[in-house]
Amino acid sequence: MAMTIQQRDYATPQRRDYDTVVVGGGLLGASIAWGLARGGERVALLDEGDTAIRASRANFALVWVQSKGLGMPEYAGWTIRSSDAWAGFAAEVTDVTGLDVAFERTGGFSLCLSEREVEHRAQTLKRLHNQPGIVDYDAKMMERSEIERMLPAIGPEVVGGSFCPLDGHVNSLRLLRALHTGLAKLGAHYLPDHRVDAIAQRAGGFALMTGAGEVRAAKVVLAAGNANMTLAPMVGLKAPMRPERGQIIVTERLQPFLKHPVVTVRQTDEGTVMIGDSKEEGITPEGTNMGIAAVEADRALRMFPVLKTVNVVRTWTGVRVMTQDGFPIYDQSETHPGAFVACCHSGVTLAANHALTIAPMIAKGALDLDIVGAFSAKRF
Amino acid sequence: MSAVTSLDDHYDVAVIGAGPAGLAAATVTATAGLSTVVLDDNPAPGGQVWRAVTTTPVQDRRVLGDDYWKGQEIVQAFQASGAKHALGAAVWSLSREREIGVSFGGGARMLEARRVVIASGALERPFPIPGWTLPGVMSVGGAQTLLKASGLVPGGRVVLAGAGPLLWLFAHQMLQAGGQIHAILDTSDRAGWRAALKHAMPFVTSPYLVKGLKLMAGVRRRVRLLTGVTSLAAGGRNKVEAVIFRQGSEGGQRMAADMLLLHQGVVPNVNLAMAAGVEHHWDAQQLCFVPVLDTFGGTGIEGVAIAGDGAGIAGAEAAVERGRLAGIAAVRALKGDTGKLPDETASRKVLAKYDGARAFLDTLYRPSRGFRIPAGDTIVCRCEEVTAQQVIDNVRIGCTGPNQLKSFLRCGMGPCQGRMCGLTVTELIAETRGVTPAEIGYYRLRPPVKPIALAELASMPKTESDVTAVVRI
Repeated sequence: MAMTIQQRDYATPQRRDYDTVVVGGGLLGASIAWGLARGGERVALLDEGDTAIRASRANFALVWVQSKGLGMPEYAGWTIRSSDAWAGFAAEVTDVTGLDVAFERTGGFSLCLSEREVEHRAQTLKRLHNQPGIVDYDAKMMERSEIERMLPAIGPEVVGGSFCPLDGHVNSLRLLRALHTGLAKLGAHYLPDHRVDAIAQRAGGFALMTGAGEVRAAKVVLAAGNANMTLAPMVGLKAPMRPERGQIIVTERLQPFLKHPVVTVRQTDEGTVMIGDSKEEGITPEGTNMGIAAVEADRALRMFPVLKTVNVVRTWTGVRVMTQDGFPIYDQSETHPGAFVACCHSGVTLAANHALTIAPMIAKGALDLDIVGAFSAKRF
Repeated sequence: MSAVTSLDDHYDVAVIGAGPAGLAAATVTATAGLSTVVLDDNPAPGGQVWRAVTTTPVQDRRVLGDDYWKGQEIVQAFQASGAKHALGAAVWSLSREREIGVSFGGGARMLEARRVVIASGALERPFPIPGWTLPGVMSVGGAQTLLKASGLVPGGRVVLAGAGPLLWLFAHQMLQAGGQIHAILDTSDRAGWRAALKHAMPFVTSPYLVKGLKLMAGVRRRVRLLTGVTSLAAGGRNKVEAVIFRQGSEGGQRMAADMLLLHQGVVPNVNLAMAAGVEHHWDAQQLCFVPVLDTFGGTGIEGVAIAGDGAGIAGAEAAVERGRLAGIAAVRALKGDTGKLPDETASRKVLAKYDGARAFLDTLYRPSRGFRIPAGDTIVCRCEEVTAQQVIDNVRIGCTGPNQLKSFLRCGMGPCQGRMCGLTVTELIAETRGVTPAEIGYYRLRPPVKPIALAELASMPKTESDVTAVVRI
């Protein structure tokens, strides 16, 4: 559906009063804003500028279930809910924007390069499965021969692995673009260069002080990634974070060779191959550690020797949004009614939940604790 | 013989690029007794301007001209200096700690240097017109590379279009080599002549004038010249078949062509310096980003200098002097004044002469807006096939700059790493938003700045902590 997009003026937003202002223009903030705007709210989405540290630009784009929820069974259920809702969400995004975000739920692998890795992987799945209250999601260990039937390109060093039919992937950069394209069409106001410095409670809502002026709204949703740590206390909430660095390698385009995403290697719909994923302590994305990139490259080659001569065109380092226990936070303020906070590492996997489940709760003014009560920051 | 087949782990000085600036810098530091290596991905020294000066099959000296053969002297001095030269060494990363990632002899490795001189030269400015991705359309610089390295002269109806000294130099070289030029379409703005006049005095006294005028007059006598060209497109189904253009405000014209060679000046090749974190600023005169440097080419990163056209376009002669100055600074930093240094004042005198004349050339050959900032379906990013209209549409939904645009459109994410679209994208966003290119900035660049094979990356040294960052069991 064609729709003209008006020339806009960044310096002065079109209005200063909204039903809800969402702080953070990444996948989490944009998904929640999407759900609110779809429901008819007047929404502003505040963001930083062109060079902000953005997890949404650096992510690996998996819609991933296997191994989620060890230590918090509710997280497994929450993840499956989003995985199940993703196809419908992708269709909705295409319907509004005309953009295909290339969602595929083909089932995905975790591959092991030694018996020790196989044993560790099997243990993890078993511990996960043995937790009381876990939803069984059919992740299972596979022998090499079985994997080879589904992934003929695997190298001789692949000993075994795990497979989960619910796993999939998406084009996450196109998703970010599609959400923003859709938000413009749905009448939401995206306000870049509006970094929030302070939030004050006012009669009937909140006033957010930004570098580009004040924005007012009845409700406020903090979806600013690791910056939630400093924003949440301004509205009587908390968001204890523990950011983590991760590096990714991307290659030139190749003919499709990989039908199922592997947790550390996936081929995009455009043909490039993404290789991850490392974890280091750290809060800045500056500098690429070539040693880490070498380990990632080496493992990817041992999994798929066909990649040997393929050119790397880029590496990058991102900062993961990570709470202190690694599980999401969804919370509402008792002292500042109408203020919400959302933090999660899996902004791609959980995008469907954020648009279709969290946003309607916020529109109603209260989180449904039967569904997301386990994710309150009171657990810290 | 200066060429090496293996590299050490440490050097006093590493020079990246074996063009005029790099060769001059390395000659100074090696002569002063510093262990010096020059890393360059070409098979022979000379850079772009003196490409293949030691190996070219074009032995008739009139074809490539005196300025080209002058390179021999510089190469010989370099070869006698004791500097090591790693031919075919592609540098793909540089860190603030002066660790250099390089592919050489089929493997990738890191090496360290106490001083680094980046001399990676210039690139041709993107020339995004309708049809510029058709086979048969190429850049003048690309055609010149083929002539110098392999003696290849394009055949058929060859049309040159654009502006700038290199276009005229290549036209001259092509004619000298026995080639035929069907026509030259001159896109330089007539108003440019008037604006340039106020910078004319230093130019008249510079070495550019006589050489330049003689060369242009020679070409004009033998080639049909159409001036005041204000719009340009390449037409054809599977290859270029015609050039469609306008002169001034006159109606469109169509000229049959088998090859269209485009050129509208050169700009600094900033990729490695930017990826290393060197600060750059927008040069409103040269319409490009240039590094922020001290008078010896030193950057804000300790021990890293930039010399030659990568420091701002000034041409080969100036590049030699800027290379010498960077070399002098390196020697003084590592050894103090040894007495074995070239005369700094002499270099600065030559530079002043060329700097004065530059403003005239920059104004005269300033590419006009319509050829820098495309519209509609014209491709901006060739690697990812992104059009001007797509860029404009995404700016309107809130992309404030090139980095957000990379996420939304993959613009600049292909193998060329933005070399063919970076400036276009910055200017297009600036115009759409009504702000200056300085406010928009440039793509954030990441290593590798040149593609390397995955197997090369995999073969790099790994520490225990590198492994545990990836294998978490």
